[in-house]
Amino acid sequence: MPVDEGSPTEKQQPEWRSAMIDVAELSLTDLTSETHDDAFATSLRRLADQVTRPAEPIAGFNSAL
Amino acid sequence: MSDTSPAIISLTDKAFGALAAGRPSAETIRTLRRAQLSKHLLLLREIARAAPRAAYAELAAAERADPAGVRRLLSDPLFGAWAADCLAALRRGEPADVDHLAILAAAAASGSPNEAAGPGSGTPETREPTTAAGHRLQARHDGLAIDVRLEDADPLRARLGLTPCAPLSAREIAHWRELFAEAWRLLVSHHRADAAILAAVLEVIVPVEPDPASRGISATSAHAFGAVAMSLPADATALAVGVLHETQHSLLNAVQDLFTLHKEPNILGYSPWRDDPRPVSGILHGAYAYLAVTRFWRTEARAFGFGGDPGAPRPVDSGLAAFEFARWRAAVAAAARGLLEDGTLTAAGTRFVTALLDEVRPWLGEAVTGETVRLAEGANTDHYLRWRLRNLAVDAAAVRDLADRWRRGAAPPSAAVRSRLVPAPRRGFESSARLDLAHAQIRHHSSERHKRAPIPQPDHPATVSALTHPDGHAHPPRPAHTQPAVPTRPTARKRGDAAGVRPRDDRPGGRASAGDLAYLRGDYGTAVDAYQKMILNGAGDDAAWAGIALVGGWDEIEVLAAVHRALKTPDVDITVLAQWISS
Repeated sequence: MPVDEGSPTEKQQPEWRSAMIDVAELSLTDLTSETHDDAFATSLRRLADQVTRPAEPIAGFNSAL
Repeated sequence: MSDTSPAIISLTDKAFGALAAGRPSAETIRTLRRAQLSKHLLLLREIARAAPRAAYAELAAAERADPAGVRRLLSDPLFGAWAADCLAALRRGEPADVDHLAILAAAAASGSPNEAAGPGSGTPETREPTTAAGHRLQARHDGLAIDVRLEDADPLRARLGLTPCAPLSAREIAHWRELFAEAWRLLVSHHRADAAILAAVLEVIVPVEPDPASRGISATSAHAFGAVAMSLPADATALAVGVLHETQHSLLNAVQDLFTLHKEPNILGYSPWRDDPRPVSGILHGAYAYLAVTRFWRTEARAFGFGGDPGAPRPVDSGLAAFEFARWRAAVAAAARGLLEDGTLTAAGTRFVTALLDEVRPWLGEAVTGETVRLAEGANTDHYLRWRLRNLAVDAAAVRDLADRWRRGAAPPSAAVRSRLVPAPRRGFESSARLDLAHAQIRHHSSERHKRAPIPQPDHPATVSALTHPDGHAHPPRPAHTQPAVPTRPTARKRGDAAGVRPRDDRPGGRASAGDLAYLRGDYGTAVDAYQKMILNGAGDDAAWAGIALVGGWDEIEVLAAVHRALKTPDVDITVLAQWISS
């Protein structure tokens, strides 16, 4: 079960499971079908929160040179 | 249609730790790229649902004809920036640039990605003609190649947060290519592992207008993985360091898309890289970006004079490399320690920052000349003091009480006065005459050494001083604290003198004050007198107050300055006042 903050599993090789699902292989047609609505829900909530959160660009590197 | 549920994106603990240490494997970067494509696709799905357009179906049809071509369009960093902005606007009920989908669909249908940067992007008021969708910056050295788009035309480039340059002239493009090729030679020759990461992450450079207050500026958007906005660097070394720095931001943004690293990401605190208070998430960004910068200067400092590729360009000089290394290793370690001590990290965040600190900790014990350490850590302390003066305010009643007690000859209150965070109204960029002088002095000394003798080896016993702190620095840098209230009892730092350091004869820019010159040569008594004179004459600004605190060894300089102003007595001896407050 993915959780937002990532969770180390108890496997022999510990891993961090994210809240993001891998849809890289889905076609655009499949992407909008309702079949995956439940599977998408967690990722979409997180994405919606990220894009609507006030943010600024990470800016300001000022070369020492 | 696929009936199986999509898999969860995950990283092994080993991969996660290496990524946190700034050394992601090629496989890890591929995983992050898949995650970014997934993010783009999910954003597109939500846009299509919130604002249905025929263009989505056209894009889907184009995908059936050319799946790889459409994936390339949807993988582009600037597509990510558009999609995030578009969905955010839709969610807020604001005008959204949904019509960009039609441009994408047209580009996909024509099989020409260049048309994705067509004139329909942006709101009608901001549209501008598009002449091309970027020029290529391609370089190859010693078997390692990189291919980056220099994007000076796509209207979406403005979404990276800085003001983009107008389309470049042929001469300007040629100059970028020269710098890029030289930077690539430097990176591959001395920093091959970092160069490989760069080649796998960096896709787009957007030239932006320089900021008159800074030497060079660059930025990364949280939603444009692999894209960097940057002003024209001064030279190839600045370009190399700049893209390494910004690539780290991209990697951390990708990590934060997957994992929540902070329980309370918006708590403000001190960042060694900014003049304004930063949220803890920003402090981590600084530490992670400067981890790569520190590694760069460490390698340069060690490589200088040690042979290697004789054709490779050298850094400005070995002294400057050592100074940058000494400065940033301390700052990165202090920021990481502060984050771990604040208790605001999640389990994933704690794992990440611990691995970051583990990477830099061994560097703290590496020998650097004592004079370089003095100036590097002085630069860090100077920045912290100026940050305090800029962003911390002392309670007015506490200041009046202190002033009243001083006038009456009474003892100061037993309880510590506390300052509170009152961020300065606008962000400032680091600009310090004292830092400029330190750089100039280091270059000068390095140049003199080169004239007199072979280049000193970093571990030569005659040219290094042992570092006294267990972690490797003589005076531990301040932690990146995040408390909104700061104890203000002035704490006495050891007042140091650096004997045998000759002052520079020239004064770069003609801005050097007597206090700064005395500080640079290690004559702290003269420096205190000079800064005090400036302040008592009414010419003292934050730089003078930070200077007197730097050489006097006082931390809570905002309290001292506030009480001094409240006394309205020009002949108060500031050193005596500081000792009284801290008594």
